[in-house]
Amino acid sequence: MNAETHEWTAMFALSKRSRNRISAAPFAAILLLAACSSVPEAERTDARDPYEGSNRKAFAFNMGLDTHILEPAANGYRNVMPPAGRRAIDNHIDWTGLPATTFNSTLQGRFENAGLSAVHFIVNSLTLGLVDLTEDPKAVKSQDFGQTLASFDVPEGNYLMVPVLGPNTSRSLTGRVVDSATNPMAFLKAGDAVQTMQTLRPPLTAVSTRADLFEAFNDVKYNSLDPYARTRSLYYQGRAGRINATVGKPTDNITTDDQFESFLEDPK
Amino acid sequence: MTRHSQIGILTSHWRVWVRCGFVCLCLLPLFLTALPARASDQIAAANNVITNMISQVETYLETDLGNIEKRTENITKLLDTHFDLPAIARFSAGPYWRAANEQERIDYVQTMRGVVIGTVVRNFDQLSGLRFTTIDSQAKGDKMVLVRGLFNDSTGKRPPVSVGWRVITPAKAPAKVLDVEIENISMLVTQKQENITIIRQNEGRFSALIEAMRKRQQAP
Repeated sequence: MNAETHEWTAMFALSKRSRNRISAAPFAAILLLAACSSVPEAERTDARDPYEGSNRKAFAFNMGLDTHILEPAANGYRNVMPPAGRRAIDNHIDWTGLPATTFNSTLQGRFENAGLSAVHFIVNSLTLGLVDLTEDPKAVKSQDFGQTLASFDVPEGNYLMVPVLGPNTSRSLTGRVVDSATNPMAFLKAGDAVQTMQTLRPPLTAVSTRADLFEAFNDVKYNSLDPYARTRSLYYQGRAGRINATVGKPTDNITTDDQFESFLEDPK
Repeated sequence: MTRHSQIGILTSHWRVWVRCGFVCLCLLPLFLTALPARASDQIAAANNVITNMISQVETYLETDLGNIEKRTENITKLLDTHFDLPAIARFSAGPYWRAANEQERIDYVQTMRGVVIGTVVRNFDQLSGLRFTTIDSQAKGDKMVLVRGLFNDSTGKRPPVSVGWRVITPAKAPAKVLDVEIENISMLVTQKQENITIIRQNEGRFSALIEAMRKRQQAP
């Protein structure tokens, strides 16, 4: 092995932390699934949610986490961070997701989007993604492995509320595991500053997203009749819209248009 | 039957078909021109409702000065004028609407109206500084139009929000809003799924939903 090859393999070699994270994520998901007890179909409040009992427990845990950590942190972030700083952090979060978009767009045969996301990633790497140097940041359609699975007609599976990670379907959770395992950013052995940014990225993403959705999230949390059911509905509709817009395929579920059409056909 | 009389019957049948065909051909252009006319009327009616409603919202935001009583009164008027509350109630109850008795239906519509008014009053300030621009309006069948647009923050602090209004456009009644979609998420479908969950958790009792709504209304 020459020096150059060694340098490359060392650069992309898995750090101990990354290896642990990658091997632990699917294992945790399997353990979680094994711990769930399925509700008979006739007793379900939603046919897609057979593990409602354990999902509600995970939701209560997540809400506790939100009340004690995320909500105060997001509130502080909103008050302290100036708009330019928030925009820079949002840009950086978007930038770190670009390799996954390149990878998944390639798998789906959307080569234009793959090329565009690769170019955006390279151009914005000059500023570590903090400043967007491209002409049209919205030109890239964000893609994840869950969407790739949807494009291959893999069924979306059951609804899973995962502690810390939040709402998922079996398909989207598998996607998240694959995306974290294939993200080159996780393998990159760069300087201390980059490593620190990598470590800070997940909590920063959580706080930034919570701050962006502060009022809407609080309305669901504090004013819903059943925050769990509302979150499930919002998740399914949001995910379906995203898959429909980027992959061009409706999900397995009845669409909003269908629901209104059948309602108007039956005036009673 | 002779061969001649058989030919006679066939000929008379043929004539009837030809006449019917001719009449249909004459009426077809009328039918084809009537369809787009109905669709454009529908779209115009839907756009009109949204324009009037947005203009009313802007006036209320400027004039109520955060006075809750005045705001509640204004929003009640706004909802009663521009929203089809009975249809919203029926849709949001899902399949359980049929199972509900007359009194439960009345109670539900009244309670739901109160909850909707409370929700809008609570979140009304968030609309301050936003300007709505219609992007397109699309007829969804002959009874509904989806008016899509963007809410832009005039201060530039918030990113633009995509909003869709589902407007019912009956031929002989005023057009009214049935649903609001924010970033492709239907508020009415969300409410319906939440309501169904509550009813199913309570062994299919419709009254449990009304009780839950009243409890929520009374909470601080």
